[in-house]
Amino acid sequence: MSKRKKWLFLLVLAVCLVLSACNFSGPSKKSSEDAGKQASTAAGDNKTLNLYFNNDIPDLNPLKATDMISFSVLGNVLEGLYRLDANHKPVPAMAKDVKISDDGLTYTFTLRDGIKWSDGSPVTAQDFVYGWLTEMDPKTADAYSFILTDYIVNGDKFNKGEVKADEVGIEAPDDQTLVVHLKQPTPYFLSLTTFAKYFPIKKDFYEKNKDQFGKGPDKLLYNGPYKLTSFNPASGVTLEKNDQYWDKDNVSVPKINIKVIKEASTALNLYNAGQLDYVQLSSEDVNQYKDNPEFGTTTNFRSYYVQFNLGDKVLANEKIRKALQYAYDPKVLEKVILNNGSKAAYGLIPPGMAGAGGKTFREMQGDLIKPDVKTAKRLWKEGVKELGETPKLSLLVSDDSVDKDTATFLQSQWKKNLGAEVSIVTKPYSGRLQAMRDNDYQMAVSAWGADYNDPMTYMDLWAAPKNAFRGNYENKAYIDLVLQAKKEKDEGKRMAALLKAEKILLKDDAVLAPLYYQGQAFMQKANVKGLVFHPWGNPWDYKYAKKQ
Amino acid sequence: MGMEKAHLTEEFFAPIATDPKGMESVARDPSIGWRASWRRLKKNRGAVISLAVLTVIILLAIFGPMMTPYDYAQADYEESFKTPSGDHWFGTDKFGRDQWARIWEGTRISLYIALLAAALDLVIGVMFGAISAVCGGKVDMVMQRIIDILVGIPHLIVVILLILFMKPGILTISVAMVITGWVNMARLVRSQIFKLKAEEFVLASRALGAGFFRTIFKHYIPNTAGLILINLMFTIPSAIFTEAFLSFIGLGLQEPLASLGVLINDGYHAMQSHYYLLFFPAVVIVALMICFNLLADGLRDAIDPKMKNK
Amino acid sequence: MKKYVLIRLFNIVVTLFIIATLTFFLMKQLPGSPFDEEKLSALPEDVRTAIYEQYGLNDPVWKQYIKYMENLVKGDLGKSFYYKDKPVAQIISERIGPSALLGIQAIVIGTAIGLILGIVAAFRHNSFWDYTTMILAVLGVSIPNFVFAALLQYFVGLKLGVLPIAYWESYKSTVLPTLALMFGVVSVVARFMRNEMLDVLNQDYMTTALAKGLSLRAIILNHALRNALIPVITVLGPVIVSLITGSLVIESIFSIPGIGSLFVESIKVNDYSMIMGVTLLFSTLFVFVVLIIDLLYGVIDPRIRIAGNKE
Repeated sequence: MSKRKKWLFLLVLAVCLVLSACNFSGPSKKSSEDAGKQASTAAGDNKTLNLYFNNDIPDLNPLKATDMISFSVLGNVLEGLYRLDANHKPVPAMAKDVKISDDGLTYTFTLRDGIKWSDGSPVTAQDFVYGWLTEMDPKTADAYSFILTDYIVNGDKFNKGEVKADEVGIEAPDDQTLVVHLKQPTPYFLSLTTFAKYFPIKKDFYEKNKDQFGKGPDKLLYNGPYKLTSFNPASGVTLEKNDQYWDKDNVSVPKINIKVIKEASTALNLYNAGQLDYVQLSSEDVNQYKDNPEFGTTTNFRSYYVQFNLGDKVLANEKIRKALQYAYDPKVLEKVILNNGSKAAYGLIPPGMAGAGGKTFREMQGDLIKPDVKTAKRLWKEGVKELGETPKLSLLVSDDSVDKDTATFLQSQWKKNLGAEVSIVTKPYSGRLQAMRDNDYQMAVSAWGADYNDPMTYMDLWAAPKNAFRGNYENKAYIDLVLQAKKEKDEGKRMAALLKAEKILLKDDAVLAPLYYQGQAFMQKANVKGLVFHPWGNPWDYKYAKKQ
Repeated sequence: MGMEKAHLTEEFFAPIATDPKGMESVARDPSIGWRASWRRLKKNRGAVISLAVLTVIILLAIFGPMMTPYDYAQADYEESFKTPSGDHWFGTDKFGRDQWARIWEGTRISLYIALLAAALDLVIGVMFGAISAVCGGKVDMVMQRIIDILVGIPHLIVVILLILFMKPGILTISVAMVITGWVNMARLVRSQIFKLKAEEFVLASRALGAGFFRTIFKHYIPNTAGLILINLMFTIPSAIFTEAFLSFIGLGLQEPLASLGVLINDGYHAMQSHYYLLFFPAVVIVALMICFNLLADGLRDAIDPKMKNK
Repeated sequence: MKKYVLIRLFNIVVTLFIIATLTFFLMKQLPGSPFDEEKLSALPEDVRTAIYEQYGLNDPVWKQYIKYMENLVKGDLGKSFYYKDKPVAQIISERIGPSALLGIQAIVIGTAIGLILGIVAAFRHNSFWDYTTMILAVLGVSIPNFVFAALLQYFVGLKLGVLPIAYWESYKSTVLPTLALMFGVVSVVARFMRNEMLDVLNQDYMTTALAKGLSLRAIILNHALRNALIPVITVLGPVIVSLITGSLVIESIFSIPGIGSLFVESIKVNDYSMIMGVTLLFSTLFVFVVLIIDLLYGVIDPRIRIAGNKE
């Protein structure tokens, strides 16, 4: 045989090997021939929802997950004692009701009858105890365990290995009753139980799968509205309706394909081709689509702000800080720079977050920092005089295009309105965090997403012991207000303390300069309804979705 | 030829003359060659046109920003995303900044980057490759392993560490590019010299007493010129985009400065709705590169000693 | 020859060891930790320390290094932090398929087209074809490939609808990304091929060969191609390695579950074991490709002796 033929043979063999190794992941894995049809079937199947996430799904182990995408998937395949309804209010789910003691410290949950895991076995109170204890176990080493240990009696001690599991304040007197003891009255505790870290885990199954738990569709037991039928961290998940779910009659979508699409323009192309039912728009594309009937916006509980470092010589000057606060218009940021559904911020606590007496916190507080160029100029002049020289300023920002745009906007506004020269220092994300921790910054564009629906999730941050990351800020009056709110049982008094705290933080002490509340601009096909995006917790909720 | 070589030993190639002035006295006066090259270059239409276009681009890079009343850094939020018009010739970006001014400002920076990359390639790359190949043996082995190691360590790690220890700016970009920017050139020159080492004229020159560096500069490098030029044409655009990446992650230029690479990257994100943000900087960079290439081709035809019978 | 290869193999082990060592210590200087998401950065110091403890991150760096090297010798690449304890080797093996397929396709087809264009351009020196090829080659390198990718996706995928817009679902999914990756290869090969062809066509032996009545085809195959291959394989070597190990932007534009994103993402999130895994993968491929190229020099042109006794 000629040499050439041998080479050809080897080449063909090599190509075949590579082809077989590259595991194409079509919904129909059968053959490449009917792949051509996929586009049309995906679009033509009028019951299946086609959605996407803009990043990898690193892991679906509820004990390890730390990102919003994993939480979103988990929230649809698992369920806690309560679940957020379409209006983001906690409603009974695995629990049918709860009794709360008068001092607000003891919660007694009664589980629903006939709730089942996807393997047919019942969901019991012990599953909750096991799940919560494993989450708090120091051996699990989950960085998110604070969301339990902050509230449950002895949770933090158990997490540090100081007490045994049976001393932690949760118990299951019988299969259907769960008693939880809290450290302090926590008006938002029911909404916490909707979160992924509060999900039950079945002991036998977990221990059997340990290292593989949550790494594949058959490595997880489901008690939520859907179950996982395929999972690839880099390409996506498929969800199918869970027939064992207690409320299955109210779940109308039989199947959901969720792909991983990192590029905004790719998602837009797929949406326009009818292969996606929902797409998030990047700010560049909003103008083109904003009159489209399919266009919409939402916001979530995530506030962006400039953190001033009070430990810096220049920023220690209150007048300089206030001048910087007043010298730009967040509305321009919202309309021109972001243009993606985000809303201009005049305070720290995002709109929609709970206040007291049926009002939201923002409604009660109103706007705190309104742009006022005249005042800003006056304060700047006075501040410069006190410093004795025109200061050089720098603004630290992560290498993220939205953050960089924000910084460019601030730079131009401060120059125009104050004549201040501000240089922008860009660092990779972890580099920015490190620089802030190391006290190596003057101002930084920073953000915080709420862990739960209560202003405490924000106010608590600046009540921690003085540290560079939070701008070296320490004010006893502020800390006292936060501590008082933590102990207070009365809703009105508690909120009054928090309102006052926000005022001190922003207006009196000018520790932060508010920028915007994060939002999304999106398009959604007209035949899709009830696609719910919770502003905190497990964001995407498909339970209420319908496709006609 | 190979057979004969086997009988020859090192002694046969001992230099015959030690008088440095007499070295290779058969070589022609180099100035004749250069003048002839220039004459040949002038006859090449493509090269002449591209020289003219290049001049125009360079003049625009110098004077372009002065031709509009707008400053490259001046933001105007009323004028965001304006399409090209008599007022803003190349339109405006998200911040309402004039693209005409920004593009020519950016061209300046990108031309500097191009120059820097070319210089690094020529100085470090060519010399490293030449020495490695001419010495051969153990020296080559060690020098090539150094390249392997430089390529093997993830560049991004080094770059992030640079961000921590240096102030962002042109100097830092240069440092980041020094690390590996020249590697391809070195490998290419090395491979070519290995090939040349076996050629007769090199042997002849050695026999006539040419020294180590003289052989490199008089024979090896001129005979590699074609390849060197072509490789430069690949190094330059990749350096321009490397700079854009470095700027994005915080090592390079900081807002409001922008280079062509940065403008193209930004324009890419807006290309579906605002094509002109990508189109104009892309046109400038493509025009630059086409001119460079035509000029390089012309130069190659003009100076490459192997092309003399053309 | 055998001795030379053995020496080189020994060299490869040493080189990889040095790369692994340097990368390990440099990587540990990166800011932050694998647990540096927004939430976790707000954790009190003692909680952070406790978590680090579980992963052995509180040990001195040299201790961590020795532990890593011990495991490496046993063939254990460790577990990813970002993918929550999933073995690095498993992640790489799941993801390398798509990247390698695209890379190999782009190289093979791109080289073939590049060779043809280069030969045509050289024979029609300074003609329309020559200029067209040159302009194509310039476009291929001075427009970033993600712009091509986006244009292909928009026009071929969305407007014409003949090929998938994105996803990794069938062989058809490979067409557009391969095209996008190919442009660079075509440019490189065409330009170097043209240059070498011109060289060869002007050599004296070429005139002899033609005078002897050798066919043009034989001349191209025996002399010109052989001559041109040396710079082409030299330049393509690193290109092959980087294409096989995936392209971040192309993979994210076409939503392909490849390995490209791991190179950048693992560094951004301080996923230490993943950084080491992909670095070793890349540098192992690279040093072997370099060895093969050095050996090929001798095959292509027997006069070249790299193993070589000094001059």
